Amino acid sequence: MLQQIAYRVLLSIPVLFGVLLLGFLLLQLVPGDPAVVIAGPNATADVIDAVRREMGLDQPLVVQFTLYLSRVLQGDLGVSLINNTSVVSELFRAIGPTVELMVACLIWSIPLGIGMGTLAAVYRGRLLDRIVMAISVAGVSMPIFFIALLLIQYLGVLFPIFPFIGRGGPLWSLEGLSHVALPALALGAIFIGPVARMTRSSVLEVLGADHVRTARAKGLPERVVVLRHALRNALIPVVTLVGLQAGYLLGGAVVTESIFAWPGVGRMAVGAILSSDFPLAQGAIIVLALSFIVINLIVDVLYAVLDPRIGH
Amino acid sequence: MPLAMNRRPAPRLRSGLVAVAAILGWQAAAPSVAAQELTIVREVDSDRYDPQRSTARGASEVLFMLGDTLVSLDYDMQTIQPGLAESWEVSEDGKTYTFHLRDDVTFCDGKKMTADDVVYTIKRWVDPATKSPVAWRAGKVDDVVATSPTTVEYRLKEPFSELLYQLTQSFATVIDQANVEALGENFGVQGFNGTGPFCWGEWQPRNIFRLTRHDAYQWGPPIYQNRGPAQIESITWQIVPEENTRGVAVMTGQSDVTQYVPYSMLAQMRSMPNVQVQRTDAAFWTYFMGFKVDKPMVDEEAVRRAMVMAVDQEAIAQNLYFGEVQPAHSYISEETLDWNPELEETLLKPDVDAANALLDEAGWEMGDDGFRYKDGEKLAPLAYGFTGSTWQRLTEAVQGDLRRIGVDLQIQLFDSTVYWGKVATQEFDVFGMSYPYVSAGDALNLYFRSQNVPTPNRMNWINDETDRLLDEGMAATDDATRAQAYGQVLRQVHDAAVWIPLYHEPLYLVGSSELEGLKPHNIYGCGLYKALDLKFKS
Repeated sequence: MLQQIAYRVLLSIPVLFGVLLLGFLLLQLVPGDPAVVIAGPNATADVIDAVRREMGLDQPLVVQFTLYLSRVLQGDLGVSLINNTSVVSELFRAIGPTVELMVACLIWSIPLGIGMGTLAAVYRGRLLDRIVMAISVAGVSMPIFFIALLLIQYLGVLFPIFPFIGRGGPLWSLEGLSHVALPALALGAIFIGPVARMTRSSVLEVLGADHVRTARAKGLPERVVVLRHALRNALIPVVTLVGLQAGYLLGGAVVTESIFAWPGVGRMAVGAILSSDFPLAQGAIIVLALSFIVINLIVDVLYAVLDPRIGH
Repeated sequence: MPLAMNRRPAPRLRSGLVAVAAILGWQAAAPSVAAQELTIVREVDSDRYDPQRSTARGASEVLFMLGDTLVSLDYDMQTIQPGLAESWEVSEDGKTYTFHLRDDVTFCDGKKMTADDVVYTIKRWVDPATKSPVAWRAGKVDDVVATSPTTVEYRLKEPFSELLYQLTQSFATVIDQANVEALGENFGVQGFNGTGPFCWGEWQPRNIFRLTRHDAYQWGPPIYQNRGPAQIESITWQIVPEENTRGVAVMTGQSDVTQYVPYSMLAQMRSMPNVQVQRTDAAFWTYFMGFKVDKPMVDEEAVRRAMVMAVDQEAIAQNLYFGEVQPAHSYISEETLDWNPELEETLLKPDVDAANALLDEAGWEMGDDGFRYKDGEKLAPLAYGFTGSTWQRLTEAVQGDLRRIGVDLQIQLFDSTVYWGKVATQEFDVFGMSYPYVSAGDALNLYFRSQNVPTPNRMNWINDETDRLLDEGMAATDDATRAQAYGQVLRQVHDAAVWIPLYHEPLYLVGSSELEGLKPHNIYGCGLYKALDLKFKS
C-alpha cells in the first residue's frame, strides 16, 4: 500500500511539471499586459516600458520560465505583481476557505447521493425510483450559478435565513456554518445527481450478483444484504466518480466563490487572471492541480480499503 | 428579537420562518446596530493603496478615509474648503501658494503631522522615481518648502489655476515619510499611516479591507457637521463581484451601504422601507465615444456630426439604464466648474433627417444594402470598447442608431486589462470610454492637449488654438479668465464633433434606512468621501 502511494507520488512529478509549463504558457497567451495594469490607464509609453523592465517581462520566454521553475523548486512562488505580497501566503489564506467549502459540500451531498441512489435501486421501477432519478437529472442539468441565484433569492432574500456574502469565521463556529450554508448547498446540488445515478446503477448490478443471492439465501434481512453486501461492493465505481467529479467541483467552486464572495482559491484564480497577476494566477493553478492529484491519490487509497484485491 | 432584525426587509410571507431561524440561532447575517460597524460592498479592489501611485477609484475610496489632503472639496464639487490647511494665500503672479496648517493633526500612530510631511508628500508625488501616473495633477512644481512647522510654500514654475482642485484629490493625500521608508515597496500594501478619520486595519486583497476609527481625529472638512472623530467605529469594505448579490445584500441588511448596484434594482429599492436611495447629479462621470479625427472617414467633420446626431441619448438612458442616468449632449456635465453655458444652444441633438442630409451633401451615397458608400468605400468605422455588459450594450445601441443613417459601425471589445494598451494604438476609428473630472480644465487638459497624443488624447486632436487656450486657462490667475479660456476650448471641440457624448452618470448611494447622514459626495466618484456624518440611528 505504502509502496503504491509512493509510486503514485513519483508519477505526479512529471504531471506537475506539465502543469507548471502549461500554466506558464497559457498565461503568456492571455492578452493582458501586467505592466499596463500597474502603470494605470493614463500612463505614457515610457512609464509602461520602465515598469515592464523592472518586472522582467522584457526577457525571452525560455529565460522567464527557467527562472520561474528554479524559484518554484525552492518553494518560492514569487510575489503578487499587484500587491507585492508573497503568493504562498496569499494561497495559504485562500486554501482554508476552499477546503472548508469542499468539506461542507461533500459532507451532505455524497451521503445523500449514495442514499438516494441505493433507495432508487432497491425500489427500482417504482415511484420513489422515478422521483430520485428526476431530481438527479434536474441537478445534473442545472447550471450552478442558477442554483446559487435561486438559493440567494429563496433562502437569503425572501426567507432571510442564511447570509450570502463572504465567510463568517471558522467552520465550527455558528457564524462560519451559517455563512458556508448557501455556497455548500449550491455546490453540493450539482453533485447529488451523478452520485445518485452511479450508485443506483452499480447497486443494481451488484444486487444481481452471486454473493448477494447467497446472502439472501442464508436468510439475512434485506437491509443487511443491501448495506453490507451490495453497497460496499457498489461503492467502488462511485468513489471513482467522486474523484473524477472533484475536478468539476473545483470548476464549480470558481463560480460559487464568485457569486457568494467566498474568499477561496477559485475566486483568487479568476481575479488574478483577470488582473494579469501572473505569479498569483500560476500559484492558484498549481494549487488547483495539486488538489486534483491529491484527490486522485485519496481515491486510490479508498479503492484499496474497499476492495483489498486492488492493493496487490 | 435582536435589534438587528429591524434592518431587514418588510415581512412578506416569512415571519414564521424568521422566528424559526431565530430559535435555531441563525442570526449571523446582520451586524449589530449598537456597535456602529459599517459594511460596504463594492465590485473591485485596488491594486494598492499608495496615494501617489494609485489611480483606481477603488483606491481613492479607501484613501479618502485613511488620509487627508491640504484642502477639501464641498458637496457642490466647486467650492474649496479647508482641510489640513486652515487657510492659504496665493501670490499675485499665481505661482506661490502659502498653506497655513493646523497644528493639532496627528497620524494614526500618534505622531504629530508637520509641514515637513506635506513637503515630503508633494515631492514624492512629482519625483520621476515614484513613477506617478498623475504627477501632472500637481502642476509644474518648482519647489515645496516648509517655512515653519505649520507653513508650507508651494512654488510653481508657472501658474496653475486648478491646483487647489487637484490638491483635494486622493493623489495629494499627505503621507508619513518614516512609514513610506519603513515599508518600501509594501507601502500602501501592508500598511499605511495616515491622518484620516480611519486607520488601516487589515487588507485581504480582492476580499476585504477593514478600517478602524482614528480616535484622535478632529480635523474633518467643514462640510461635515461632525468634524471628528467618526461615529462609525469600524468599516469593512467587502468585495462582491456579482452585482445582483450586492443589491440583495443591501436589501437584506447584510451590507449597510454601497454605490454599486444595478440600475434595474433602483426602482424596487426606492419602494423598500428599509432601504434609502440617495442620488447626486454633481457627479461628473461621463460616458462617450471618441473619434480619431485623422483617420479616413471619421476625419470628415460632416461624418462625425452626422454620427453624433444619429445617436439617441434619451432612448439609451431610458431603455438601457431605466432612466436612472442623464442623457449627455455635452462632453462634461453642465454642472461642472467652468462649463460654458453659451454652448447649450449649439449642442448637437438627435436628428436623423439632418444627419442623413449632411451625409448626402458630403457625397456619401446610400447603397442598396442600406449603408453609405463613397468612391467604392463603405462607411464602416471600427470601434473599440470594453467587454462587460455596460459597453457591450452601449456600443450595440449606438451601432443600431447609426444604421439609421447608413453607417455600419464595426465593434471590437476587449477586457479592461487589455483595453488600455489597445487604445494607445492607431488601429481604430472610434473608442468608447468613461471618465471622472473635477472641472472643465481637468477634463480638457487631460484629453485635448496635443502633447497627450496618442494617449490619453486618443482622438489625435492636434490644434494650436486649443493648446494656446488650454495654457491660458491653466495659467489664469483669476476665475473669469480661466472660465473664458476653457469655455472657448469647449466650443471648439463640440463644434468639431470630436466625441459622441452618451450619458452623464449620476452617483447613487444605496444604504440601510437605519443610516443617518448618508449624503453622496462625488469626489473622484467616491460616494462616501470621509463618512464623518454617517451613523446608525440609535
